[in-house]
Amino acid sequence: MHIDKRRLYHLDWYLILNGLALLAVGMVNLISATRSIDTGPYNLLLKQALAFLLGIAVLFLILAYDYRVIAGYARHFYVITLFFIVFVLIMGTIAGGAKRWLSVAGVAFQPSELMKPVMVLLLANMLHQRKKENEPLNLKDILLPLVYILIPCVLILKQPDLGTAVVILLSCFCMLWFVGLTKVTYLFLGIIGCGSVPVLWRFLMKPYQKMRILSLVNPDLDPSGYGYHSIQAKIAVGSGGLFGKGYLNGTQHKLHFIPEHHTDFIFTVFGEEWGFIGSVVLFLLFMSFIHRCVKISRNTMEPLGSTITFGVASIIFVQFTINILMAINLAPVVGIPLPFISYGGSSLISTIIGIALLLNVNMRRYMF
Amino acid sequence: MQQQPEAAVREKKYKWCERILVFTVIILFMRLFDLQILKGEEMRKLSEQNRVRIKKILAPRGTIFDKTGKILADTRPSFNLYIVPEDIKDFNQTVDGLAQLLDLDREDIIERLKDARDFPSSFPVKVESDMSMDQVAKVEANKFYLPGVVIQIEPKRNYAYGPMLSHALGYVSEISTEELKTAEYKKYSIGDNIGKFGLERMYEKYLRGVDGEKRVEVDASGKEVRTLDVKEPVSGHSLYLNIDMDVQTTVEKALEGRQGGAVVSDPRTGAVLALVSHPSFDPNQLTSGSREYWQKIAMDPSHPLQNRVTQGRFPPGSTFKPLVALAALEKGVINENTSFLCGGHFAFGGHVFKCWQKKGHGSVALHRGIVQSCDVFFYNVGLKTGVDTIHRMAETIGITKPTGIDLPGEKSGLVPSTEWKKRTTGEKWYEGETVSVAIGQGAVWLTPIGLMQLASFMGNEGVTFKPQIVNRIVSPQGKIVKVFEPVMAANAKLDKGHITLVKEGMKGVVNEPGGTAYSTAHIQNVSMSGKTGSAQSGTGGADHAWFIAFAPSDTPSVSMGILVEHGMHGASAAAPIAKAVAEVMFKEEKEEIKSVREGPPSRKSADMRLPGAPARVALR
Repeated sequence: MHIDKRRLYHLDWYLILNGLALLAVGMVNLISATRSIDTGPYNLLLKQALAFLLGIAVLFLILAYDYRVIAGYARHFYVITLFFIVFVLIMGTIAGGAKRWLSVAGVAFQPSELMKPVMVLLLANMLHQRKKENEPLNLKDILLPLVYILIPCVLILKQPDLGTAVVILLSCFCMLWFVGLTKVTYLFLGIIGCGSVPVLWRFLMKPYQKMRILSLVNPDLDPSGYGYHSIQAKIAVGSGGLFGKGYLNGTQHKLHFIPEHHTDFIFTVFGEEWGFIGSVVLFLLFMSFIHRCVKISRNTMEPLGSTITFGVASIIFVQFTINILMAINLAPVVGIPLPFISYGGSSLISTIIGIALLLNVNMRRYMF
Repeated sequence: MQQQPEAAVREKKYKWCERILVFTVIILFMRLFDLQILKGEEMRKLSEQNRVRIKKILAPRGTIFDKTGKILADTRPSFNLYIVPEDIKDFNQTVDGLAQLLDLDREDIIERLKDARDFPSSFPVKVESDMSMDQVAKVEANKFYLPGVVIQIEPKRNYAYGPMLSHALGYVSEISTEELKTAEYKKYSIGDNIGKFGLERMYEKYLRGVDGEKRVEVDASGKEVRTLDVKEPVSGHSLYLNIDMDVQTTVEKALEGRQGGAVVSDPRTGAVLALVSHPSFDPNQLTSGSREYWQKIAMDPSHPLQNRVTQGRFPPGSTFKPLVALAALEKGVINENTSFLCGGHFAFGGHVFKCWQKKGHGSVALHRGIVQSCDVFFYNVGLKTGVDTIHRMAETIGITKPTGIDLPGEKSGLVPSTEWKKRTTGEKWYEGETVSVAIGQGAVWLTPIGLMQLASFMGNEGVTFKPQIVNRIVSPQGKIVKVFEPVMAANAKLDKGHITLVKEGMKGVVNEPGGTAYSTAHIQNVSMSGKTGSAQSGTGGADHAWFIAFAPSDTPSVSMGILVEHGMHGASAAAPIAKAVAEVMFKEEKEEIKSVREGPPSRKSADMRLPGAPARVALR
């Protein structure tokens, strides 16, 4: 465990600064968003800051080791995280009709968030073990990995947390695509995917989740119920206009018209207060960040590292896209945080772990 | 199978990633552009609508005072329960929760919400009015579980004297959906209270103020966060009545427990001093919207809602005789000395008409005929006069049309004529019918107020004024908005000798020892004139008891029309009521003269006194 000082020169400062910029925006925005919360605005900010510090500590820890070593322990991390997920399912605090949290000494810890980077690590490892040079993976290769993917997804769906399950599935699929599959495998997956939708609809999805999707298509279906959130979000974002209503002036969230405005719908706060111009800037920041992640993947010759970083990039891309789509009423409402911006300690730490992996891979790429 | 070199494949994939990234962000840009730029204004307006509500501030209704400034109807705070449809999150939770908590009828709540569908969903819908503090506490304690439920403190009409004067005052209650559709109530909205009866209805335009409004910012559960601006309400105008509650109370007490109607007025101006109709109702219960109470009085077979004074038509019986006498004198078919023999019965047209005094009155001339109310005398006089002359006299006095009192729904009396009979039944008039008419039976129907006008006519020697309950309308700032000057109604040129004869007769009724009302209505303080009547009701049951009067006899300042349904004898049942009134009105003569000198009891400035009030020493 020796931090080679030279490797510090190979830290991707662009990524770090871009990430910090996003984090700063997130904090400032959070101040406004949490003003209307009863527990006191600065309470949440403090928690977010603490989470940040904890994340930084983990980051240093991760940076100290070669990522291949860490990937070697992927299975261990997987099992531990899975254990926590099951634990939450049985013992977790119920909030908002879902069991997602464990309350530890007044701090809420969401293990499903941790699963995102852990899954990436594990999948990258497993795929890499099976991958032969210049040959795409076939169905046999990915069968076991799929099982590993589906187990936590199903458990998470039972919480019920549709959003996190979707993120894990989609980012894993991105990684599979990245590593390369045979056409047959794609077909097979396609059929399974399409076939599972009706099964999902009938057996696994809860009524309110179904309503959310239906009301996306037709928000007037139940304007005071399920369509309500999306309509209100749309109004909030739209009412920002070109320049926004100004910092701290977002009336919609202040007056409680937006539920979950400090988590899932955090963008509505930003959109209402900073308007089109502010939103464009935010999107550019995200685009730049994701692009940078992909670039790191591209610049890494070592296939495992390349895959890991691609996986992290896809996590951030999927969350960003779906969250924004949700806030502007182009996607059904699912519980997905906006990285760096949404309030949520576990989400922040999970994101920082991803960044740590990125930096880790990047700073060791000259070893090959 | 060997595919392309790994690196090349990879590169292609990265290129795709880039494209997808750019593509996604462009989609998001486009949507953002659409929402924030293209639809920005519209969204902003919607966000405003979300948060800004316009709330009505109810204007206090004008107060109604009696003559001396006693408050008859005013407003007090009441706690009303509303549901704001827009703020309901879970319909069943709110509606069922509310119904259960306060023991309300769930269907009723749903019905009201349905009725309000034409109005914006941010409009509160009234669900229950005038809640008890207990109910208020329950709702407030559970407010978190009942989003959309709101308690508003609103002014409620309060009638200080309960069932007294209720027919004249009327009551105030929620506007119905049918009424809302009419042109008259175009500017009103659901949940508004309007006058439904009596003066409250007649003068709705004046009594109702102008509602104010405040624009408030609300949060998602409809809770007021802050007020943006306020337009203050304007109070309604006040009504000052001619009614004197002391006289009113006296009559109410005297008529207690019995059915009937009584009205007292000042014949010099037409000002109505008291108006009583029994059975009565409590307007406070009607105003609070109690459905059970409404049912009870609507179903009551004695019809408490009917105003006997203006709407009750009864045969006047012997009170009609002075009119017949006057008509006969004016026509010239009798004079002071014309006499007839009364043996207790009168035969005509195959019938035998009886006199109330079985053994008869002997030889009777006009004066004694009135004083002792001899039926036979009037049978004769009636025949000689003829029904059409009688009808014309009634017309002159003004009792064949409504008196025009400022209350809704007045019915006019009926005095028959040959033309009337021809018109309504197609048959000709039979003289035998005139015999009945002459003593106020048969096809003669009059209201108590009509008969009071008859008394005024006699007392004033041919002049009557339109009865008026309201004296003046005053703005909330104290300015007089409208004054109701006396309006002359009848003004007949009568032979002085003739009217004096009739008046003397009426004076004798009360003041001569043989007079039918001597024992029951005679008082020391003042000379009162009147006429008793005991009319066959025609519906079975005891006779109706009547008494009409004016006092003092020479230049009256009070006239009355009193009816006690099924009271049997006018003298015993109705006349004492007149006596009670006269006692109240005339006993404090000395004190009144003193109070007139010092100025009437008034809380406002002197410019409120009636301009041109009679300069004579007024007896209230």
